[in-house]
Amino acid sequence: MHAIGRAVLSRAVIASTISVVLGSVLLLGGCSNTSGTANSIVVSGSTTVLPIAEQAAEQFMTAHEGKSVLVSGMGSSSGIEAVSMGTAQIGTSSRELADDELKIGLTDIPIAHDGIAAIVSPSNPVKNLSSEQLRDIFAGNITNWKELGGPDLEIERINRDEASGTREAFSKIIMGTASFNTNSVVLPGTGQVREVVGRTKGAIGYISVGFVTDDVKALSVDGVAPTVENVTSKKYPIARELHFFVKGTPTGLTKEYIDYVLSDAVQNGPVVEAGFIPAAAKTGGE
Amino acid sequence: MTVTDKSDKACETQTESADAHVADAHRQNETLSAGASAGHLQLVSRATQAKEAALASLFFVCAFIAVVAVGAIFVFVAVKAWPIVTEVGLKNFLTGMKWSVANEQYGIVPFVVGSFVVTIGALVIGAPLAVLTAVFLAEIATKRVRGIVRPAVELLAGIPSVVYGFFGVVIVTPIVAKIFGGVGFGPLTAWIILAIMIVPTIATLSEDALNSIPMGIREASFAMGATQWQTIYKVVLPAAKIGIIDAVILGMGRAIGETMAVLMVVGNAPQMFKGIAKPIATLTSQIVLDMGYASGVHRTALFGMAAILFLISMGLVGLVRLLSRSGGGERS
Repeated sequence: MHAIGRAVLSRAVIASTISVVLGSVLLLGGCSNTSGTANSIVVSGSTTVLPIAEQAAEQFMTAHEGKSVLVSGMGSSSGIEAVSMGTAQIGTSSRELADDELKIGLTDIPIAHDGIAAIVSPSNPVKNLSSEQLRDIFAGNITNWKELGGPDLEIERINRDEASGTREAFSKIIMGTASFNTNSVVLPGTGQVREVVGRTKGAIGYISVGFVTDDVKALSVDGVAPTVENVTSKKYPIARELHFFVKGTPTGLTKEYIDYVLSDAVQNGPVVEAGFIPAAAKTGGE
Repeated sequence: MTVTDKSDKACETQTESADAHVADAHRQNETLSAGASAGHLQLVSRATQAKEAALASLFFVCAFIAVVAVGAIFVFVAVKAWPIVTEVGLKNFLTGMKWSVANEQYGIVPFVVGSFVVTIGALVIGAPLAVLTAVFLAEIATKRVRGIVRPAVELLAGIPSVVYGFFGVVIVTPIVAKIFGGVGFGPLTAWIILAIMIVPTIATLSEDALNSIPMGIREASFAMGATQWQTIYKVVLPAAKIGIIDAVILGMGRAIGETMAVLMVVGNAPQMFKGIAKPIATLTSQIVLDMGYASGVHRTALFGMAAILFLISMGLVGLVRLLSRSGGGERS
């Protein structure tokens, strides 16, 4: 081995160096430019909006051969950043613009409504909570249902993870400056929250109105039930809009795609299927 | 001996196609010295030598890729995590009791405690289960029974962790909730799931350790009138002790690094351990939860946690190697 070992070693080192260099060149060369062209646009942002934007893009591309709409979900903030930097033509968001984002000059196109329902187990007799009571529950100040006119039962708070747009909206509208109690169980998904609340007597959680099923009971908040009409008419307090943001006025493929998302094909298709309420829904509709 | 024989045979088939004359020489060479090593390659043609060298370098490159990958990942994580020293302060980071992104508090004690609580509990349940399984497979089971049990244990290793997590959420949490109240998410559920997950790791490695004990030791024990149980307990297990401890430590590494299943059943509340049915969070689960949206100092803190995990894994692997060496183990 010794006789040829050294030769082998040096050759191996050269070979491995070459392969590493080649590999990195390939990797770097693989990155493509993500700015839009006449036939390709990038849509990025909110994970809440993702199902709508993705389905709409798929249908749009099937209908328009040779045009591509790339959709990615990285969170509302990064979507707004991407559209203002020009790395995306459309930024999607499940929240309003923050004060420092207003200066960028983005055009806001609401594409759907979403209400957030506070849910409890169907066996829980409590029907209505005030916004303050909800806040006190999630801040950990109220810990037993008997303080809310229910049975003598410990309240089990089910919270969402901080990446969740639903949590962000709930936090903004209900919690205000109060912070969530850290002892709450945190579950990384709407479906899980619904399942656990459904089978736990003393549990309370919050999910998108569209995801409410018979397994759980949606509470009225401040005396208003989370129905489609109440969410659309903004009577129900925990409501938000889902947005597309573009820079200036949309043109070309960007405009075509936005028009398509606002058309009935998407509004009464993917939007409703994903559990949201169409942007143009009239009060008393459905 | 058998290994070199095999490799020589492999060489043989290759050289035959290349050059009959050389093959002859080679065959002579083989009969001359079974167990010939690469040092005897002077007797073969230059073409064969070149091929040997090329293959050797190919193997070397493959082996080296692992080294490069580990080094690159470690450097990357360390570089990304380094600003924690200036932005949060090492002391605040390592000894802080509060994790609150909104208030810019990045203390990871709750996660470190959570990781260890979850891991130790899983080991307490899983390790005896796995070691006893290994003893059964190596010492007691008949061939037919072994043919059923061993594949079953190995299949456990093949189940994706998300499936374990799903099983935990759907099956285990309601049961824990019934018995202990609350929602059923917490260390206890994680222990049950992780214990099942680490059984294959510990069982297969322990079985290897037991099988490497020479038969003669057992025969000597039986010859002195010991029963099977006495032999296992007094002779075989002590002889395989180092190997079994290694297996348990590697199982611990598996448990501490497990992410998906833990994330799904542990409850993810960034608080100190309060009880076996109260939600906590671990290093891995918190990294996954926050990775999607973290930026700035928060992101740095996550890389810091990754670095801590890396160091823990390195420590465990180092411990295994140290034990193998001090225990006179054959593994180098």
